[in-house]
Amino acid sequence: MYSRAWVRVRSTYGEPVWVAVNLAVPLLSSLAMALLYRSTGLSRFTGFAILGGVMLAFWGNVLWSMASQFNWDKEVGIFEIYLISPAPISAILVGMSLGGILATVPSAALVTLIGWRFFSLSVNPSWVAVFLTFILTLASLYAMGMLLSSLYLVYGREAESLNNAIGDPINLLSGLYFPSIGTGSPFPFAVQIIASLIPLTIGMDALRKSVFYGGDVEAVWLDLLILAVMAGVLLFLGDRAMKALEERGRREGTLVVRLR
Amino acid sequence: MAIVQTRDLTRSFQSKGSTVVALDGVDLDVNEGEVFGLLGPNGAGKTTFIRILSTLLLPSSGYATISGFDVAKEQEKIRPIINMASGAERAGYEFISARGNLWFFSQLYGVSTEDFRRRVATLSSQLELDGYIDKKVYELSTGYRQRMTIARAFINDPKVVFMDEPTIALDVMTARRIRDFLVHEAKDSKRTIFLATHNMAETEAVCNRVAIIDKGKILVCESPENLKRNYGHPAYVMELSPAPISLDNIASVPHVKGVTSTLDEERGVATVRVVVEEDEAINQIAKTLTESGVKLLSSWRQAPTLEEVFVTLVGRGFTEREHENAS
Repeated sequence: MYSRAWVRVRSTYGEPVWVAVNLAVPLLSSLAMALLYRSTGLSRFTGFAILGGVMLAFWGNVLWSMASQFNWDKEVGIFEIYLISPAPISAILVGMSLGGILATVPSAALVTLIGWRFFSLSVNPSWVAVFLTFILTLASLYAMGMLLSSLYLVYGREAESLNNAIGDPINLLSGLYFPSIGTGSPFPFAVQIIASLIPLTIGMDALRKSVFYGGDVEAVWLDLLILAVMAGVLLFLGDRAMKALEERGRREGTLVVRLR
Repeated sequence: MAIVQTRDLTRSFQSKGSTVVALDGVDLDVNEGEVFGLLGPNGAGKTTFIRILSTLLLPSSGYATISGFDVAKEQEKIRPIINMASGAERAGYEFISARGNLWFFSQLYGVSTEDFRRRVATLSSQLELDGYIDKKVYELSTGYRQRMTIARAFINDPKVVFMDEPTIALDVMTARRIRDFLVHEAKDSKRTIFLATHNMAETEAVCNRVAIIDKGKILVCESPENLKRNYGHPAYVMELSPAPISLDNIASVPHVKGVTSTLDEERGVATVRVVVEEDEAINQIAKTLTESGVKLLSSWRQAPTLEEVFVTLVGRGFTEREHENAS
């Protein structure tokens, strides 16, 4: 697990172009949203945009550096080395998650720093609640990444297409840059219910409460509980799916599809 | 005792509504400390066989065991004692050093730091990787990447190593270095090397025994020397111009076991290799060629090789079989 985390971090910082892309994409999107809020006289919401940029860095990492990474491993023949080893695939995925989180921290820190410096954010954090929400949001996000990754055991490009397809809708519904559930949500109730099934939505909502409005653990306990349950359920489903799909892949011969 | 054993091992796939049999009732015993060659043209079933033995694929029927454990049901007992390398795989993560990659892959097997250091030192020395072990993978040439792949396959001190075309597309010196290493590992460490290849020279150079596979069936399984002695007939190599339109009239001559040919388009010359049971057949072939207006530029007799063994058994050469399998 730790060795896979090490590979993730070393690979991320082994190529200067990747470092630049990892740092720039979340930074530029959050700056664009923050400037939009400011130019339309909604400066009090610029903090939402900066927070969204921080979480976008992690969410992008789940989608592109974890689920898609599995597909790349499969295509170049490294995935079969994992499979024939005694290491459980779930341990490798947890390692990828830990490495992904560590590799994303500089990007998230840069967004926070620049947001703080240039937009004079008005925050009123309840640190314990912020910490717990952040950790549980990451846990449920990466558990979702594990579940998505399991699809690559059987499906190749189809699973990658699913990754592409869900990226933007989740960005929209989860309210990375604006409240998508509860007071202030532009969505009808039915859409809010659907949006609530995404861990990122619950996490963003709770983070906004605890970072900007001083919401303590008592104020966000329900969000924390939902996130903890989501993380547990997604981890369980990811592990079960991984085992079931590995067996199906062995039966149908879809575990190894190498592009030569 | 056989460390790898298969009985009536069969694997079929569904493809475009029809059933393709990739392995067909294979019975095989491979012994400890043996370099065992699985020789066959592309599409013969070699990779399917290795995938079943390495627990990546389930058999459709029959069974296979590694060290007595069933590959279908006891994969968790097999995986710690095997490893695999392929000539087609990516050596590892590009932006990490060869040593870093080897460390990572060793951790999949829980190799201790001390054992890892000892094994990397030994493998680097044996595979002549010493000056390259701390370079990032993207800085390594194809040959050194492949040496790293081979080192990876031995990093967990496995009992059985499956190798699928390990020297494909390598220069002569690197291929020779790798072959020497494989022979050494089998002999000195009592490791079983299961080598799937369509490289006959490689098979002859390193294998204690060879199974020839075609269309999913094992045709014969013996030492290379015995194969050549028992099945290898002499071949006559003939340079012909113009290239004959068909080889059928040569193949139909009595005592001809098989015919293969290659064409030098620039010179307009075909090199035809004819495997014969009786040397007299060559006179009849020369007569047939003359009658069909083909000029015999030169010819010579060649001692039997595994190519001739394959032609004797199948009636076709590797290249022709690969074209048939692809179409």
